[in-house]
Amino acid sequence: MNVALFDYGAGNLHSLGKALEEAGARVTVTSDWKDALAQDALVLPGVGAFGPAAAALPKDPAPVRDALAAGMPCLGICLGMQLLFDDSEEAAGHGIGLMPGKVRLLDARIVPQMGWNDVETGPDPIFAGVEDLVAYFANSYVCIPTDISDAIAWSEYDGIRSAAGARRSNTWGLQFHPEKSSGPGRRIIANFVALAREPS
Amino acid sequence: MLRPRVIVCLDVKDGRVVKGTQFQNLRDVGDPVELATRYEAEGADEVVFLDVSASKEARGTLLEVVRRTAERLFVPLTVGGGVRSAADIGPLLRAGADKISVNTAAVRDPGLLSLGAERFGSQCIVASIDALRENERWRCYTHGGTERTELDAVEWAAECEARGAGEILLTSIDQDGARNGYDLELTRQVADSVPVPVIASGGAGGAEHLRDAFTDGHASAALVAGILHDGLTTVGALKSALNGWGIAVRPVANLRPSEALS
Repeated sequence: MNVALFDYGAGNLHSLGKALEEAGARVTVTSDWKDALAQDALVLPGVGAFGPAAAALPKDPAPVRDALAAGMPCLGICLGMQLLFDDSEEAAGHGIGLMPGKVRLLDARIVPQMGWNDVETGPDPIFAGVEDLVAYFANSYVCIPTDISDAIAWSEYDGIRSAAGARRSNTWGLQFHPEKSSGPGRRIIANFVALAREPS
Repeated sequence: MLRPRVIVCLDVKDGRVVKGTQFQNLRDVGDPVELATRYEAEGADEVVFLDVSASKEARGTLLEVVRRTAERLFVPLTVGGGVRSAADIGPLLRAGADKISVNTAAVRDPGLLSLGAERFGSQCIVASIDALRENERWRCYTHGGTERTELDAVEWAAECEARGAGEILLTSIDQDGARNGYDLELTRQVADSVPVPVIASGGAGGAEHLRDAFTDGHASAALVAGILHDGLTTVGALKSALNGWGIAVRPVANLRPSEALS
């Protein structure tokens, strides 16, 4: 199975690429949307800022949104999850808009949230085999889904409860970094690869 | 709940992990990839590579070490010591560092912090501050603690944050290597004055010192090096002691990567 690992031009894709490969995926790193949508699955990594990443989306994100809505498997991590929503307080520009909702600045004393936090996981198969998840977060913004049923996981930081995971169709968004969350995180990536192989 | 972090620091020179006192009498203690992944398995929440190579040629070697490490390490990796200008940030992140830490270069050119934060996000820019007590305050030093600056550590930390640093790695030169505890007053003063996480560094001799850094020092994370490398304790032992005192650190993952992939 071919996975497109989308490259917005910032930061580390290495650990994520390796974790996907170890789970049995063939990884193509690309910054071309046509090329990305031609693969079997899409991964939107979590490094960089919303502005430049949104600018890396096609001017009209409809083809990306349509492909995902039609069932193309996709995993959006951290910033990649935020891009699945409509827009962000961080910067101008639009996200993909697959899930209705906004991205808001974390109103906490210490920002970014940096470190390992507990994640309350729902019964989604992306979390199969993972119990009492404690995952690595590095984020200043959080997603506020309009449709609460899109949320599949929750976490709390400085008294603020927000969606740590969201899903629509075969697209999953995770606010934490599974590729930096040691064994349990790699299990989640392996689960995604398995789910992407046989999309529902 | 956000867990207080236990971060392991490794000094890397010319592609190998070295150990010595005050950068003197360095001896080779192993391969960075092997040691970093071993610390992950023991429960380290993050790993820091501090490049102590002197030569320019070492830059390529460092990138290669980071690349090899990122392929096998699945906790965050911070790389310090190799950033001399803004141009060094991109390649290190591309090679696989999750964060870079800057000290001397940021003092020389504070604009480096803003530039890095705008381009790559604050979450990957760590301002590293080496502080020495002077009267009732702390003075910033650069060049591995050898050169005194005019900067006050608490004020400089606030400026680093204002310029875009997403985290402060705060080392007490007085306590470094002493193994009788972090400088709690310094840590607390900085942690209380900046709205970003502060990593206490310098002085860890046992689990009680990490506990004090989290409670009295208000630190978000504690850096540990010598006592682990000398085999005096393990990350697992530190964490179980902390848990016993009610400091809820991340439990050592019971799921090993190999099991996760089966």
